Amino acid sequence: MNWKRLGSRWVIVPGGMALAIVLWLAYVGTHNHGVIEGRVVDAAGRPVAGAAVLLFERGFVTHQEKGRATTDADGRFRFDDNQSHSIQLEAESPELGRSDRRIVRLMFAAQDTRLIDPLRFPVAK
Amino acid sequence: MSRTSNSRLALRHATLVVIAILMLVPFYWVIKTAITNENIYAYPPSLLPREPHLYNFVDVWYLIPFPRYLLNSIIVSAMAVAGNVVFNAMAGYALTQRFPGRKAVLALFLSCMLIPFQATIIPAYLITAKLGLLNTYFGLAFPMLSTIVCIFVFKAAFEAVPKSLIDAARLDGLPEWRIIVRVLLPLSKPAIATNVILTFIWSWNNFLWPLLITRDPNMQTLPLGLARFLSYMEDTTGALYAFAVMVLAPSILVFLMAQKEFIRGLTSGATKG
Repeated sequence: MNWKRLGSRWVIVPGGMALAIVLWLAYVGTHNHGVIEGRVVDAAGRPVAGAAVLLFERGFVTHQEKGRATTDADGRFRFDDNQSHSIQLEAESPELGRSDRRIVRLMFAAQDTRLIDPLRFPVAK
Repeated sequence: MSRTSNSRLALRHATLVVIAILMLVPFYWVIKTAITNENIYAYPPSLLPREPHLYNFVDVWYLIPFPRYLLNSIIVSAMAVAGNVVFNAMAGYALTQRFPGRKAVLALFLSCMLIPFQATIIPAYLITAKLGLLNTYFGLAFPMLSTIVCIFVFKAAFEAVPKSLIDAARLDGLPEWRIIVRVLLPLSKPAIATNVILTFIWSWNNFLWPLLITRDPNMQTLPLGLARFLSYMEDTTGALYAFAVMVLAPSILVFLMAQKEFIRGLTSGATKG
């Protein structure tokens, strides 16, 4: 076998690309369970229990509601079945109203994600 | 080296660097727009990307069947490249031989180069339809399977090979096709690279022919997908430019990988064709 040929750019470039694609697909395959986790807090930063969190999925032109979750005593929520790469999250509560809608863009469809900043209700009027 | 010639060289290099930067500005601008959501008409324009991200590429991948278009383009381009290397090598070799009517064939080939593809598109379509190749990969690659320019590139490269080598191969009992495969093609790598690059780029960027002969959206290639994407998402500049980058990247990559042989092949064609 001519080992010098392995050093050719015709081997290194496609080979490097193939390796990068395989690694990326391996990463995607182990992180695409559709889990979205986060917290909901009020204007003072206290966790809000029992708030509904709405998940909107991006279509071509509009966003459509695809799921709902309810926050626990620590204000945490979790979705297990997100299939999209671009979603919006919004919290609503009878007492506190609606939070701002948070745009969440992912690097691939159904990427497991934990929101760093919680969904925050505005100051009650 | 004298001081004068040193300063001349530096000046020449500086000029070339400035020209190279000017040439690269459009590429930079396309990539910058693709990794931001900036409006290209915004004034004053920002030279550096603000808050760069890769989400536009993700949108392109998922909002249209990009992987399917990519696969179609790869299959069609691979068929066109393979067809060109095989058929053009055979035609180029034939044109280096002596046979009655050779000059007439050369004149016919040269005159055919003057006819634009748009003028022959109706007969090309009718022939493809008669053969039952509409909406097929082979039909998409069909008019690109051999190009006259590339035949002449092979002809020039084969003429540069010493005739004694071919005579020796013939004396050893090699048939004509093995002379091409075993003797001429290994000595004509720049011509092969030129064929690969030109055919790949022409086939990859081809818009009109795939538009005419594809009925099924699943058979569309990337340039058609780009037009479709533009019609859906006319206001998303960032995603549109991301799509353009994804369409252009493979052909630029192939060119960069084979540019040395490509330039050698073109020069050889220019001086001996």
